[in-house]
Amino acid sequence: MPETSVNILVGGEAGQGLVTIGEFMAKALVRSGYEIHVTQDYMSRVRGGHNTFAIRTGPDPIWAPVEDVDILVALDQETIDLHKSQLTGQGVVIADEAFDVGDLPALSVPFKELAPKPIFRNVAALGVLASTICHDIEDLEQLLTKTFGKKGDEVVEQNLEVLRAAYNWRKEQDFVVECMPPSLVDVGPEGSGRLMMQGNQAIALGALAAGCNFCPFYPMTPSTSIPLALSALGRDLGVVVEQVEDEISAMNMALGASFAGAKAMVATSGGGFALMCEGVSLAGMTETPIVIALIQRPGPATGLPTRTEQADLNLALYAGHGEFPRAILTPGTVEECFELAHKAFDLAERSQSPVFILSDQYLADSYRSVAPFDLNAYPQIEGPLLEADPYYVRHALVPNGVSPRVVPGTSKALVVLDSDEHTPDGHITEDLDVRIRMNNKRLKKAKVLARDMFQPVRYEDEDPERLLVCWGTTLGAAREAARLLTSLGERTGVLHFQQVWPLVPEQFMSALEGAREVVFVEGNATGQLAALIRQQTGFVAHKQVLRYDGLPFTARYIATAVEQSE
Amino acid sequence: MSHVTEIIHQYLRHNKKFPHVFCPGCGHGIVLGSLIRSVHELGLPKDDVAVVAGIGCSGRIAAYVDFNTIHSTHGRALTFATGVKMSNPKLHVICIMGDGDATAIGGNHLIHAARRNVSITALVLNNNIYGMTGGQCSPTTPEGASAMTTPYGQLEKAFDMVELGRAAGANYVARGSVFQANMLERFIRTAIERPGFGLVEILSPCYTQFGRKNHFKTPVDMYRWLKENAVPRESWEKMTEEKRRGRIPVGEFAINDAPGLEQRYAEMAARLKEEAER
Repeated sequence: MPETSVNILVGGEAGQGLVTIGEFMAKALVRSGYEIHVTQDYMSRVRGGHNTFAIRTGPDPIWAPVEDVDILVALDQETIDLHKSQLTGQGVVIADEAFDVGDLPALSVPFKELAPKPIFRNVAALGVLASTICHDIEDLEQLLTKTFGKKGDEVVEQNLEVLRAAYNWRKEQDFVVECMPPSLVDVGPEGSGRLMMQGNQAIALGALAAGCNFCPFYPMTPSTSIPLALSALGRDLGVVVEQVEDEISAMNMALGASFAGAKAMVATSGGGFALMCEGVSLAGMTETPIVIALIQRPGPATGLPTRTEQADLNLALYAGHGEFPRAILTPGTVEECFELAHKAFDLAERSQSPVFILSDQYLADSYRSVAPFDLNAYPQIEGPLLEADPYYVRHALVPNGVSPRVVPGTSKALVVLDSDEHTPDGHITEDLDVRIRMNNKRLKKAKVLARDMFQPVRYEDEDPERLLVCWGTTLGAAREAARLLTSLGERTGVLHFQQVWPLVPEQFMSALEGAREVVFVEGNATGQLAALIRQQTGFVAHKQVLRYDGLPFTARYIATAVEQSE
Repeated sequence: MSHVTEIIHQYLRHNKKFPHVFCPGCGHGIVLGSLIRSVHELGLPKDDVAVVAGIGCSGRIAAYVDFNTIHSTHGRALTFATGVKMSNPKLHVICIMGDGDATAIGGNHLIHAARRNVSITALVLNNNIYGMTGGQCSPTTPEGASAMTTPYGQLEKAFDMVELGRAAGANYVARGSVFQANMLERFIRTAIERPGFGLVEILSPCYTQFGRKNHFKTPVDMYRWLKENAVPRESWEKMTEEKRRGRIPVGEFAINDAPGLEQRYAEMAARLKEEAER
């Protein structure tokens, strides 16, 4: 676990500009070559409440959030009251001089003097914060100038004045700060060249790299940032992003577009996906490729709309009536969000099946510093065929079950689909022998998916006594927990599933059987992956660490739970 | 073989599905004929037509015509069709739905497809009943009428699809009946030809599930009823409230030229591209 990291927590009410402070600081850190790990905790309201933007930063890779706070930027009294217990020994509070900081080490800032108008207070806080972590002011000046440039020189100048005043005010204080070690990345005049990116942005970009050009959606936190990212780039890349009346419409519209040749994706969260299940089944029956980004939040029902959970694995696995193949990809990092989103389109087309990307609010909103993606390393994804002879048969019985897919209206081929059981040429049938043949044909495609799946990956100790098994976004915390537990005496490794369906037991049984203690770590209350593996292999988890309070895992949470259950 | 029959035969999948599923006296075959004649009259190549059907008796029409066809799920035909149209705007997309399909389970999609004014021709075959599933009432079952699920008479008011489509913003809204086949053909043709969303409600009797329960002695009585009570809009407007009772106006109720969603989208994309290049 990186000992060199600093954890900055910016807290306040919604509407106070805490995300602006956080994003500027994070961006500046990324430009300077530092690693960042942002966790956003916000309430389901537009104004008021208590929200936080946490940046854990340092020169070494950072994989997960931590509880401890080194620098607490409090935009209101509540932030101090709620988070003072998390402050470390070397910690400091940055707060307005009017707030009661008790006997905590604090920089009590005269915001009224530093910022002529309340609107500049967040820039003043940014100045004090940057100065406290010894961040170069020129870097921030460039960022502010670039960001506020559109608003005119006067606005830029006013912001810069406040920034400088606040930065210099901190320097004059009799307060010793410990600067972060220098970053490990070469930083040129244009910055480190690294990108600050959230999980959902990476899913959108990975989809675009795969050629995604159609995304109908109905807004639902925490998935909406995917269509938003797509529409922001839509002008240059020609993506149809249509907000529709409900998720039923979104799903079926995407299927219609896919049928007609588009590379289509839908993005939603649990409640919205519940409405899409009927369409998932239609995709299965009509063998229409579709990518589904299911960004989980705690349920049931409206649940905790802005928090995180991994409780919809079963929903994705069993969504849609009837039996048909599917794949469920579960990225663990921002980089994997990109890679798996790209791969999802490939798998969907090659298996003509629904393919899920299962992420959650934590990773969706979490900014990281990532190296630019090498687009040449991602092969172009094959689309459907445009030509076929007039005797074309849409669901021809071929050995692997994947019949050549032709787009309607591009050739003399007649393309016929039916949601009823159908003959190979797509016509409705109630011939029960045909039914068996067609059902078998569709199910055969599972082998195509299984042959080309992401194997579970081992991290940390390769030959551990204790194995932490996790999937999706729990990867980072599990890795840090493994290091912590190893340091406490027992060799601990991680097995991460970046794909939870189909499962190929040969790929992971030796890892499960090789460890003395196998602990499943999942962000749900019932251990859904553990249950699935037991169902598929008979293997019973020795222990489970489950979290379902809406917050992401940390190393300490996992390690404490493992130790307590000893 | 008459000339009309010859035309129809050019567009049927002869090796498929005949004899068809429609009951004696059903109006859906007349709609099928009208649809084919409309496409023929407009000279559309078969490969450029995509028919998206819902589920129910009307949905089966898709299986007989030699166009690209999708027999989709109950209520979702319009959403699927919108995806097809946005993905390939050069296709003529025709949706065939029943009254339950379009106004109950798919009612929200109907409203929003009309609001979007996407260039799709929506044919809603209104037989006032769920035929295929055994005669349950639909949102267009008239007040007081008997259905399997309204054994003591329908208590609820029926949907007026024309008013619905017009209020929601469809470019073209018409109501025809299978008794007035030439008029119906003209409406379907106009709907296909015009930009934007075209909604054609088609009164198409179901003797088996509706007529028998509602005092029609034979299918012919139902056509006679249409002849007498499906009155041209112009005449209907001149009628007193009392005379209007029990009658239903047919004709064109909205004719607008607003560009379809796919066209507005293409224009916006071109404008943004130009701005970006400038």
